[in-house]
Amino acid sequence: MSQQEALKWFADLFGLPPATITPATTRIEVLTWDSLGVLTLMAALDETFNIVANDADMRAMQKVGDVLDLLGRHGKLT
Amino acid sequence: MRFILVDEILEMVPGHHIRATKFISPDEDYFRDHFPGFPVVPGVLLTEMMAQTAGKCLDAENRTRGKSMLAKINGASFRDWVRPGETALIHGEIRTSRPQFATADCRVEIGGRPVCSAELLFSFVNMEKFAPGYRDEVLERYLATQPPEISPSPQ
Repeated sequence: MSQQEALKWFADLFGLPPATITPATTRIEVLTWDSLGVLTLMAALDETFNIVANDADMRAMQKVGDVLDLLGRHGKLT
Repeated sequence: MRFILVDEILEMVPGHHIRATKFISPDEDYFRDHFPGFPVVPGVLLTEMMAQTAGKCLDAENRTRGKSMLAKINGASFRDWVRPGETALIHGEIRTSRPQFATADCRVEIGGRPVCSAELLFSFVNMEKFAPGYRDEVLERYLATQPPEISPSPQ
C-alpha cells in the first residue's frame, strides 16, 4: 500500500474527505479520533493489516504520520 | 420494561460463536406506537438483540477484561419485518477478540428467513462499575447446563 492509499484508508475510516488528511494532521484536528476512534483504529489495524497494536502504540499516535510509521514498521507501506 | 432481549442461548463457543432466541411477545408495549395497525419490532431493538447475544459470547470468554458494551454499529441492514408472535433466531460470530475491543458479525433470522444483520464493535467496562452482585441470568443459565470444565488434578 502506498502512502497515498494509506491516507485514503485513514480518511475513509474516520469518515473524512481524503484531501483533508496529510501525515501532519493531528489527532486534535480529527474530531472523530476520540476514544471510540482509537478503538476503531485498533480494530481496523488488526483486521485489515494483522497489526495488533497495544495501548502504548495507540497512546503514541498523535498525528496521522504516526499511524503511517506504524504501518511502515510492520512492512505495510511500499 | 425489562431490557433483556435474549431469552435463551441455544449454542455457544465462548469467544467464537453463539446462537440464541428471543420470542417477540405480542404484549410488548412498544407495539402500541410502532405502529398502530402495523406492529413491527423497531430496528434499534433488533440491533440490541444482536449486541446482547454477541456480548454474552464475549463475556463467557474472558470475564477479567470486564463486561462487553456496544461501542459502534459498523453498518446494519434491515431486510424484513419482525412481527408480534414470531421467534427471532440470533446469530453472532466473533471476528476479533482482544483485551481492548472485539468485533462481531451478527444476524437475525425468523423461520429461516434473514431479517437483519450488523457488524458490531465492542469495548469493555470493568465489572466494578456495575452494581454488586450484578449477574447475566441468561448466560449463567446456559453455562449451568454445560459440563464442568476439566481442571488439572492437584499434584
